[in-house]
Amino acid sequence: MPLWWPLLLAALLFSIGVYGVLARRNAVLVLMGVELMLNAANINLVAFDAYLRDALHSGQIFALFVIVIAAAEIGLALAIVLLVFRTHGHIEVDRLRALADRDEAPEEVRR
Amino acid sequence: MSVLLLAMLAVPFASAAVVLLIGHRSAGAGKGIAVGGEALALVLACVVAGWHLGSAAPTGHVYASTAAVGPPIQLAFYVDQLSAVMLLLVHVVSFLVQVYSLGYLEHDPRYPSYSSLVAVFTGAMSLVVTADDLWVLLVGWELMGACSYFLIAHHWELPEARAGAVKAFLMTRTADLGLLFGILVLGNRFGSYRISTVMGDITHGALQLDSLWLPALLFLAAAVGKSAQFPLHTWLPDAMPGPTPISALIHAATMVAAGVFLVARTYPMFTNSTSAMTWMAGIAALTMFLAAVYAMFSKDLKRVLAWSTVSQLAYMFGALAVGSWTAAVMHLLAHGAFKALLFLGAGSVIHAVGGSTSMDSMGGLRSRLPDTFVTMTLGFGALAGVVPLVGFFTKDAVIGASLREALDGRQVWTWVAWALFASMVLTAMLTVAYCLRAWLLVFFGDPAPAAEAAEEPAWTMRAPLYLLAVPTTFGGILVAYPELLFGSAHREELFHGVLSTVVTVLVILVGIVVAVAWARRREGDLWRPRPVPHPEVDVAYDVAVVRPVGRLAALTRFYDREVIGGWVDAAAGSAPGLGRVLRLAQNGNVQAYLMVVVVGAVAVAVAAGARS
Repeated sequence: MPLWWPLLLAALLFSIGVYGVLARRNAVLVLMGVELMLNAANINLVAFDAYLRDALHSGQIFALFVIVIAAAEIGLALAIVLLVFRTHGHIEVDRLRALADRDEAPEEVRR
Repeated sequence: MSVLLLAMLAVPFASAAVVLLIGHRSAGAGKGIAVGGEALALVLACVVAGWHLGSAAPTGHVYASTAAVGPPIQLAFYVDQLSAVMLLLVHVVSFLVQVYSLGYLEHDPRYPSYSSLVAVFTGAMSLVVTADDLWVLLVGWELMGACSYFLIAHHWELPEARAGAVKAFLMTRTADLGLLFGILVLGNRFGSYRISTVMGDITHGALQLDSLWLPALLFLAAAVGKSAQFPLHTWLPDAMPGPTPISALIHAATMVAAGVFLVARTYPMFTNSTSAMTWMAGIAALTMFLAAVYAMFSKDLKRVLAWSTVSQLAYMFGALAVGSWTAAVMHLLAHGAFKALLFLGAGSVIHAVGGSTSMDSMGGLRSRLPDTFVTMTLGFGALAGVVPLVGFFTKDAVIGASLREALDGRQVWTWVAWALFASMVLTAMLTVAYCLRAWLLVFFGDPAPAAEAAEEPAWTMRAPLYLLAVPTTFGGILVAYPELLFGSAHREELFHGVLSTVVTVLVILVGIVVAVAWARRREGDLWRPRPVPHPEVDVAYDVAVVRPVGRLAALTRFYDREVIGGWVDAAAGSAPGLGRVLRLAQNGNVQAYLMVVVVGAVAVAVAAGARS
């Protein structure tokens, strides 16, 4: 299998992930975009590990670490999303602008 | 001797410091130390002076010297006959002023600072008269200017006292620039700042005549400012809001005498420079007459005395200008005695009538203040030149010297010498007239309401008057024998025989006739002062100096506020504006931030790829 097949797949997945992060308004979908990007990186790691015939398979081990960390990250992130939904009643990322730099703090921050 | 001299110079400063330190805690101790310190300084000064009077050799001593580039600046002192008599004058008057102030300013809350400033003033004048290095002299000279500023402004709650002090300081300070530049010129020319060295070089150096006109004129400018001669004469009468003992000190012993002393000290330089002498003669001729006219029409007793000081100082400068050093110094000493007497007497009159200096509030005080009357009569007599008193002899010596110069002298231009002589005679007549007028207004006639309850002051204020009356009355003996004071080198014929006696007697007669005629003409209604058109030198200064400086200051202020400050304000104002622009990026949308990060990363990657 030539190297560029998995690389192309990873690139496509990463691009879809970037699109999801930058363009989706729903926080859950943004998180899904982040997962896509992480997994695109995993594909790259595994592909290069196989291509370079690494005796210690550090690429595969690294990919496993990434999967673990991604699981932890998504757990934390979903908890945040849940809290955001409870306080704001929505999870639309572009409406969460409490940290913008303005002359006066908005109502929701003061509260 | 040198230790004694140093002690004499240090005692006034030390007592001033001690008085300042403890004076506010214990008024009695402060006064005691002020008077005691001055008494000690007087004793030391008497010893030092007694050592050098007559034909004694002068003492010179260098205590320290700089080793820098150029002529060395030395802490050098030089005491000769002139220093000796000046030391006596300064310390006697200063001691009497300290004693007199005990009564005059008895309840003054600022007494400690007052008496310590008087002590510093005395110390500064001692420094001037004993200094051998020109820079040391300059230090004392400037110290006197500062002290006179503080003392004139003693009653600083009065606006005229503050204004008078500032005026005195600015005018004398401006003139002092002449001394500063004169010192530099002399040091450059002779390679030394020591007065004795420089004067020795001038005396023995066979210099070309008038080659020293520049330093001589510069020194003359400083002396004119310090001694309140035309055109810098206006500060002295305006300094009158100061306490009266201070006026006595300034007019008799310290401040204004320093100008005459400076010329007398550097006299070889002036005899070399005929142009400076001619200027001095012209200034003296103009000043003495002008000041006498003002004194004639002034309503304020202290101002009459102040103008008379200006006029008498002009006599001294006139005598110096016609080459009669001895007559000038003699007149300086005599004037110191009788003018201190007059001012202290005026102080006791003012004290008795409750603080007013206007002669309208006096009158008829002859019987109420007998001691003051007797002593001030002697003082006025000496000022007017009445025959047995000291003023007659010294003024006679001065007038005689000027006549001799006008007849066959070569020191100044002939017509200037004649103008000086004419002005001296005229001024002597006016002096008699204004002395008589002030004397009559104060002591005769109907007493003003304020003068009804006048009483003689305490003995501390009367004793100095009697003590000063002694030299005022008997000082004429010394004039006949100047070699007693100045040694055989100054054995001049100061008593000018028939001619001067005739002139002086004539002058006195004319003066009396003028005063009596004036009295008859305005009987009942006492000599009311009439407005005299002053030559408006103050206006000239205002137009020529004060207003341009004010305008320059306004321009500088404008430049500072609007141009320099404008840049600063603009920089400060632009920072928030710029920040507001940058803030637009901080809109709270996380996805927008990420977009920037992604685009940036892509751009970096593309750039890196393009370069490799």
